[in-house]
Amino acid sequence: MEKNTEEQEKEIRVSSSLRQNENYVRKRLENCADIQIRPMRLGGERKVDCLMVYIEVATSNMMLEDSALGKMINHFWEISPERMQEFIRNNSLGIADVKKLSTMEEVFAALLAGNAVFFMDGFDQAMKISSEGYPNMGVTEVESEKVLRGSKEGFSDSVKTNSALVRKRLRDTRMKVEEHYIGTRSHTLVHMLYMEDLVREEFLEDVKERLDAFEIDGILDSGMLEQLTEDRWYSPFPQYQSTERPDRAAQELLNGKIVLLCDNSPEALVLPGAFNSFMESSEDWYNRFEMASFLRVLRYLALITATLLPGLYLAVIRFHTQILPTNLILSFAQAREGVPFSSVVELVFLELAFELIREAGVRIPGALGNAIGIVGGLIIGSAAVEANLVSPIVVMIVALTALGSMAIPNEEFASAFRLLKYFFLILGGYLGIYGIVLGIYLTVSHLAGLLSFGVPYLVPFVENRPKNGVGDGILRLPFRKRWQRPLYAKRDQSVRLKRRQ
Amino acid sequence: MEFAENNRISHRQLYRQMVIAFLAPFLLCLFGRGKILGLGGIAGTIAAVVILLFYVIFLIRLAPCYGDLKKTAGGLWGRLIGLFFVVYVILTAAYLLALLEEIVPASLVTGVSGRWISFFALLACCMGTHRGMQRRGRIAEVSGGIVLVGIVLMLILCIDQGEWSYLQEMLNGSRLTGKNFAESVYGILCAFSGIGLLPFVLEHVEKQGSAGKTVALAVLTLGGILIALELILPAVLGWNRLQTEEFPILPLMAGADLPGNVLARFDVLWMGFLLYSLLFSIGSLLHYGHQVIRKAHLGTGRVWMAVVIYLLSILEFNGVGIEDYFGAYLGYVFLPGLLILQILLFVLGRGKWKKKNSAAAGAVSVVLCFSFLLGGCGAVEPEKRMYPLALGVDVSQDPGGMTNGFSVTYGMPDLPKATGQDKSGEEEGNTALTINGATFQAIEAEYDRTQEKYLDMGHLQILVLGKRILEEKRWETVMDYLKQEPFIGENVYVFCTDDVKTALNWQGPQGTSLGEYLQGLLENHPESGMNQAPTLRELYHSRYQNGTIPALPEIRFPNGEIEVNLV
Repeated sequence: MEKNTEEQEKEIRVSSSLRQNENYVRKRLENCADIQIRPMRLGGERKVDCLMVYIEVATSNMMLEDSALGKMINHFWEISPERMQEFIRNNSLGIADVKKLSTMEEVFAALLAGNAVFFMDGFDQAMKISSEGYPNMGVTEVESEKVLRGSKEGFSDSVKTNSALVRKRLRDTRMKVEEHYIGTRSHTLVHMLYMEDLVREEFLEDVKERLDAFEIDGILDSGMLEQLTEDRWYSPFPQYQSTERPDRAAQELLNGKIVLLCDNSPEALVLPGAFNSFMESSEDWYNRFEMASFLRVLRYLALITATLLPGLYLAVIRFHTQILPTNLILSFAQAREGVPFSSVVELVFLELAFELIREAGVRIPGALGNAIGIVGGLIIGSAAVEANLVSPIVVMIVALTALGSMAIPNEEFASAFRLLKYFFLILGGYLGIYGIVLGIYLTVSHLAGLLSFGVPYLVPFVENRPKNGVGDGILRLPFRKRWQRPLYAKRDQSVRLKRRQ
Repeated sequence: MEFAENNRISHRQLYRQMVIAFLAPFLLCLFGRGKILGLGGIAGTIAAVVILLFYVIFLIRLAPCYGDLKKTAGGLWGRLIGLFFVVYVILTAAYLLALLEEIVPASLVTGVSGRWISFFALLACCMGTHRGMQRRGRIAEVSGGIVLVGIVLMLILCIDQGEWSYLQEMLNGSRLTGKNFAESVYGILCAFSGIGLLPFVLEHVEKQGSAGKTVALAVLTLGGILIALELILPAVLGWNRLQTEEFPILPLMAGADLPGNVLARFDVLWMGFLLYSLLFSIGSLLHYGHQVIRKAHLGTGRVWMAVVIYLLSILEFNGVGIEDYFGAYLGYVFLPGLLILQILLFVLGRGKWKKKNSAAAGAVSVVLCFSFLLGGCGAVEPEKRMYPLALGVDVSQDPGGMTNGFSVTYGMPDLPKATGQDKSGEEEGNTALTINGATFQAIEAEYDRTQEKYLDMGHLQILVLGKRILEEKRWETVMDYLKQEPFIGENVYVFCTDDVKTALNWQGPQGTSLGEYLQGLLENHPESGMNQAPTLRELYHSRYQNGTIPALPEIRFPNGEIEVNLV
């Protein structure tokens, strides 16, 4: 039914009769109280009927009076209808971002995108007059990818603002922004950003194909888009990098990657994604290479801790006590005296308790959320130990695991390892180090099979022809040595830095 | 796309695949019961490596013939050749699985059935093996370096445990004869026979013409490690002991230690590296199995191959399992057959080439979860274990018909004091538990009947033998018993005393147990020559070498004070 309406709209052209246009618009917008249909009579001596249609909040009254649109209406009060038509035809109203619309499909697309649409009797086209658009939060500080050095600006909910934030950093016409509308009902605007001369054609084609591959009613966040277009939908590992930071997005565009910005989402998708890119922070390129390298190594250790520590702990205390120094295993044994649960249950219990605290902390607003963390971490933890529900060492294990997972820069990536942790916990608890080795083999095997837009997930560790001037391994190269772009960029554009002659 | 599935694997990925796939099977299987050891072993390994280097050139030239066996050798013969390789893949995978089933429950995870262990391993290895070679290349590239470096580092760590005199025993004891040289060469060639599958891989390798160098480098790396081990093993374990060990590689790390006391033992990590390599080998065999089946137009092997492998690994016919006949199959059937076939293929299919893509498929993770729950668990919580730090063994004192038996005393630490968590007024003291029995098995059975806690011997520091044990020459039985306990380290110090029970009940000035006290005494006074007490490893060596044990330091208690007379 929806499809039929759309097909009809494509065919229905804007009539030169205002009444006919008004009837059609009113019929389509019946019971849409948020949309204003304002008839008006403009012109000097001879008046002409006009119609302004707009979404009330997206195009404010203030704007009609004060904006270019308001000025245009004021101008039309003084001229004849013939001159009005001529003015519209030749000057496009003399204001910025005005587009002539010939079909009703274009009219409704422009209207629902938050623009005002202007009809005039006797003129067979409507005018899209851009306005401020839908309300949004504006540019805010980044929340999840905080840095000590570097911009504090984060993406907002508005795709156009987000594109502008990237454009602000890459003031080059070779940075292209393609518009796509996805969702048969949501008509979500998606911007695809890329550097024309850097991006590989096959990536672009592949991305476009995937964006068109599904017909869905609505895309409300970039996360939905991500899941829809991933290579391996069942993998817990995100196959696109997501970022809230315009500087990170700009950096990735310079690497030859493609950035997808989805309306109503402050998270940009960067593709193709790779394991190592999730472990990088924007700050890595702003800090000195020694510190940046140290922090990267630390993050990898954090990843291992976050994933393997609980499983290894269980494997050691339940199967391989001989590898620990005697005093340590005796301490563990002493600490567990009187705990009623098995160490697996104890650890799972505390890990889940921590997940609860984390979830509660995220959902509860502001300062109360922080308080939950303190209450949960300190009070519940120590109370559980005193009540002999858990042993102190397990509290330490859970705390270290949580710290490790928080040190991973990308939350989505970290959450994959949070899940994996339970898998290793069970394997270590029931099969000891054999289980851990089995789990590592399975994980490596899975990761080795993952591709993101045809690029192996484990690049640059599995690159056939590793480049020496890219610096995207675990250790960061000194800035001056980082003269090459990674493999995502076209081969003839691989040089990013050279000394001026 | 340039980096996608159609892309070929790099030489580095090929190298790492070869190293990681061959390493653990070689280390575990080649040195048991003195098979390829001594001067003959070293010379044989060198000769075999040289032969293999020439063979690699032949294999590279043979690669085009493996593209489509049906086209190269005709419908029937192509399928028969394919079947020949599939049988090899199945038997080798079953053998490795059986090996896993044997060593993991015995030396790593007690209490879990070996069958479940091999079942889990097979499930994990099956995943994705039908997919392209690139995936295996990436697995190898990411993990191969870590495994190789880990194993080499561990071997370097072992060098410190070696004794020059032990190595001399090997030099003196082994002889280089034509027979043992030939046996060693053939043994190494049989071990490397998996390299015969290489032509199936080469069509997926970039720059095939120069792949020979990579393969040769892998052969040289493996050969180098084998030769290093042929020297390290006798230097650490002693020549005569080496002749009796089935898997001498396993106790190699039982006495290794690192400064800083971060970990008390490294054998578990060592096993971890070996297991990973073993899993990769089984996964690679399954992958090659799929490749061969596809190229020989034999249908699909996705389910049945794994099932057959598992069944062969667990089934025994009249007490004969895969481990008993695999060696004969390799030596008498596969290797000669392989050479004949390859010559035949070379003659039949010169210059033919065909490019193919591998098929795609799904996963079996739900089965894994289910079977995992059914697998059960033999884990014991740390607080439910007893950790004897000292073990005393003497002849049973009971005059009532038990004089031929043994009396075993377990010296336990005072837990609060040992962990520094004791509170004033709590005086538990060290405990020594003595159990008498006719044999050690009977003593263990008695322990299991009477004690609620699991006996964890992994932290044993001191072994005290009663003088009567030494006088009556019954220490060999004690050695046999200790040797079968996989968790007892070989760096345990050994003493003797008149009265084992009194020694084990002795309590030091700060409430320390005998084990802690003697350990401290030996390790904290290196300048006074106090660290001269023999270790269990030295006892084993002496026993296998000349049937005796070295003189042991004696513990005495004149006037109630402990005194250790080092020899």
